[in-house]
Amino acid sequence: MPSSQSIDLPQGTLDLLILRTLALGPEHGWAISERIHQVSSSVLQIQQGSLYPALHRLERRGWIKARWGTSENNRRAKFYELTKAGLKQLETEKSEWKKLITAVTQVLETT
Amino acid sequence: MLSDLLIRLRAIFRRTQVETELDDELRFHFDQHVAKLIHSGVSRREALRRARLEFGGEDHIKEECREARGVHFIETLVQDVRYGLRTLRKAPGFTAVAIITLALGIGANTAIFSYVNAWVIKPLPYPQVDRLMVFLAHDSKKGWSYRGISSDADFFDYQSQNTTFESLVPYSSEDFNLTGDGTPDRIPGGLVGWNFFQELGAKPLLGRTFLPNENDPAKSHLVILSRGLWESRFAADPRVIGRAVTIQGESYTIVGVMPERFLYPLMGIANMWVPLPITDKMRHDRENSSFQVFGRMKPGVTQSQAAADLAAIGARLETLYPLTNAHQTVLPSSMLHEIGENEGSQQVMISFVIVGLVLLIACANVANLMLARTSRRVREFALRGTLGATRPRLFRQLLTESALLFFAGGLAGALVGVWGAHWIESQIPDRIRGYIVNYGRASLDLTTFAYTFGLALLCGLFFGLAPAFTNSGLDLNRGLKESSSQMGSTRAATRLRSGLVTAEIALAVVVLICSVLLVQDFTRLIHRELGFQPRNVLVTELVLPDTKYQTAAQLSAFHDQVMARLSAIPELAAAASTEYLPFGDSNRTDLIHIVGRPPAEPGDELGAERSSVSPNYFQAMQIPLIQGRSFTSSDGPDSQKVVLINETLLHQQFPRGDAVGQQLEIGEDRQVCAIVGVVHDLRTSNFYGRPRRQIYLAESQFPSAHLAIIARASAASSPDVSNPIGAVGVAAAVRSAVWSVDPDQPILPVRSFEDLIAESNSGMRVLSQLLGFFGLLALLLGSIGIYGVIAYSVQQRIHEIGLRMALGASSAQVIRMILGRGLKLAAIGVAAGIILAAVLTRAMASILTTVKSNDPATFIAVPVFFTVVAIAACYLPARRGARTDPMRALKYE
Repeated sequence: MPSSQSIDLPQGTLDLLILRTLALGPEHGWAISERIHQVSSSVLQIQQGSLYPALHRLERRGWIKARWGTSENNRRAKFYELTKAGLKQLETEKSEWKKLITAVTQVLETT
Repeated sequence: MLSDLLIRLRAIFRRTQVETELDDELRFHFDQHVAKLIHSGVSRREALRRARLEFGGEDHIKEECREARGVHFIETLVQDVRYGLRTLRKAPGFTAVAIITLALGIGANTAIFSYVNAWVIKPLPYPQVDRLMVFLAHDSKKGWSYRGISSDADFFDYQSQNTTFESLVPYSSEDFNLTGDGTPDRIPGGLVGWNFFQELGAKPLLGRTFLPNENDPAKSHLVILSRGLWESRFAADPRVIGRAVTIQGESYTIVGVMPERFLYPLMGIANMWVPLPITDKMRHDRENSSFQVFGRMKPGVTQSQAAADLAAIGARLETLYPLTNAHQTVLPSSMLHEIGENEGSQQVMISFVIVGLVLLIACANVANLMLARTSRRVREFALRGTLGATRPRLFRQLLTESALLFFAGGLAGALVGVWGAHWIESQIPDRIRGYIVNYGRASLDLTTFAYTFGLALLCGLFFGLAPAFTNSGLDLNRGLKESSSQMGSTRAATRLRSGLVTAEIALAVVVLICSVLLVQDFTRLIHRELGFQPRNVLVTELVLPDTKYQTAAQLSAFHDQVMARLSAIPELAAAASTEYLPFGDSNRTDLIHIVGRPPAEPGDELGAERSSVSPNYFQAMQIPLIQGRSFTSSDGPDSQKVVLINETLLHQQFPRGDAVGQQLEIGEDRQVCAIVGVVHDLRTSNFYGRPRRQIYLAESQFPSAHLAIIARASAASSPDVSNPIGAVGVAAAVRSAVWSVDPDQPILPVRSFEDLIAESNSGMRVLSQLLGFFGLLALLLGSIGIYGVIAYSVQQRIHEIGLRMALGASSAQVIRMILGRGLKLAAIGVAAGIILAAVLTRAMASILTTVKSNDPATFIAVPVFFTVVAIAACYLPARRGARTDPMRALKYE
């Protein structure tokens, strides 16, 4: 359920969040969205409508790869894991994100 | 990169598997979500409901996933094409009209382009053609120039003194009498410098070309045959090389055969080539020129450098030979340009522009059709949108549909184009074919077809964009809610439709004005007075070889005998002969001087077209005698030499009309002849310009080796020589009359005089027929366009019209309202068309003779006519609108 405190994701951050989540280990789509929801203290809610296209896009770019496995409740599920290229991409995007945050913060706090 | 490719390929080739996996993946997510909701204490039913709500359109997600995987490019294209074909099949009326419209537009363009390609784009098949220059003799005092050189002797000075040319090639057209081996024939051919073939990069099919010393008259009795002549007369015998043939009564040896493709348009059709014999007389003759010249510039030399070089030589010759060379120079002109001038590339380019406008009109029409159709399909798009089709997807779908339509139009257009090109080709008379690159054949090659389909797809994408933009941007909710009659009536779409039809009308007016100008000009030209009556007349030409007919007595004897035989043919009302035939292959101009007047300044001498004719020539040609008398049988070789002049010469030189009784000196040998009569002016070569000065001599006093026979069929026996059976009989009788006098004498085919004259303006005729057709097409398409738009708007406003009528509007008022809208569109279009035409027709000024390019009558009549047609086209839908039953219209959904 979208919580009342949830906010819209800025453009391009979804990829970063997915990559970051997958850096902890292979996960299926549902778990990825749940984890982001939890870790962000229920602020970020990823809609399926954007999650799956993003996953397929990242797969096509070669940053993550998919394989079918078994879920905790013994269902067949598609697991995604980070590739080497994905790990590199994550580092790049992370540092870019930090730069952006710093810059935006600076602007906002300059009096 | 590799993963990208693999995923794309997998997406395309393992489609079902990929789709199942996608289903499974989303299904898993959905189930997990439901499970989570149940776990948090919601009932199963409620959990399912919420999950579905949250999930939204599953198809939408799938669509985006597919897109993210890059399935789209090929897969959706295949899908779109399949879907597009199905929708086009479902609307056969729309599809047929659109494809026929496009086929006509694209086909006409293909046909014209095949000529642009053959004549303008494709360079001549000569190596380094840009280095080839044709010499123009230029008279700086009179300001005119013609293809040729100032004199024979000058040629040798230019040849030895120039520093900018690698080589110069003299050549001249010449018809040869070929006898022995079958019927005597007159073969068109050329006398050429030995290096002629070499400089044009032509290799012989058999044997060899000429050698450097073979322009020596002692060694020049050699001949090279065209492939056509080799096949028709020598049965394509490979042992023909080295054989002797009789040309002009002398023996020549065949040394080579040229391939079919070899052509030099500046010489016309040539079926045999003989080395130009360079005599000592030619090396010293600064008065006459007997050949034309082209040259190959040295590498790196520019045309202006060559011009300066030739001008310097010309100036030196002027000081050396002031009597003959005053004001005489030679200019180099690019061969590409000269040949382009020759075969009407200007006409082709004008047709090309006009036909391009016709295509634009056709495209605008089809775009309008598509707009109207797609706006009727709004509900379909809205539905597909709701079911998950993304906007770019719908956009692409529409674009694919229009591209398909235009591709089909291109295909049909290619067929129309091939047919059109063949039609144009069939309109080119054989006699002038040789002057045209590629013998006037269109080049239906890869370039032409690439152009056709490129054009079709470009138009499809460009004009396909219009409906795609206005429709895929539609609000989906509105599309589902609104009634079909109101759909798609967005302001943007309406404005686009009106804009298209206005532009269409403007272009149609331009095309119509251009075609009316040309057709009018042509019609007036061919109805210009000829000065003689060619109807029911058969003509032929022959040249008596000087090896056999050396004396005036021999020539006269031949003339008299042939005339006697001809007058015995019962089907002929009259038979006469003349030295040069009006509209024939050659003519001759002699210098004249009126006895008793001061001698003319050099360069200001009078020239007159001359012909020596048989006594009954004027009667047979039905040329009226204005003053004095015609020739009689008493004007014999020993009596006083007499001459007749034409009205133009009379008016120019004898303003008081007192020519009869005075004397003229004629020609180089200044023969003194008494003027005995004045005859009506004749047109002798074309319909342009004013008749020239003309003089007629008596055949008995000036017998000539060049002879044309004029045979007028009697109205009783053969009322119409264009009737093939009658004509063939008379023609055969004329030929056998000649051969009964001399069985070795070749004659040109005996043919109808009217056909011969018609051939002389075949270029203009084809152009005016084409433009007439394009004009009609533009008119038709323009009216269909405005009809379509008005009919559509009536249908859209049927609700409003019903309401107005229910509130008391009369049907006349409704008609007026609808016509008013049509008239507004037409008026804007027509006004824009007039302005555009005023600018564009200026480019046509140079090919119009009798009509001004801004002819006021045309500029008024065409727009008025077009407006009337447009109103008529609007009237049909207007009347339909006015007959609307208000009750039904109000209910109409």
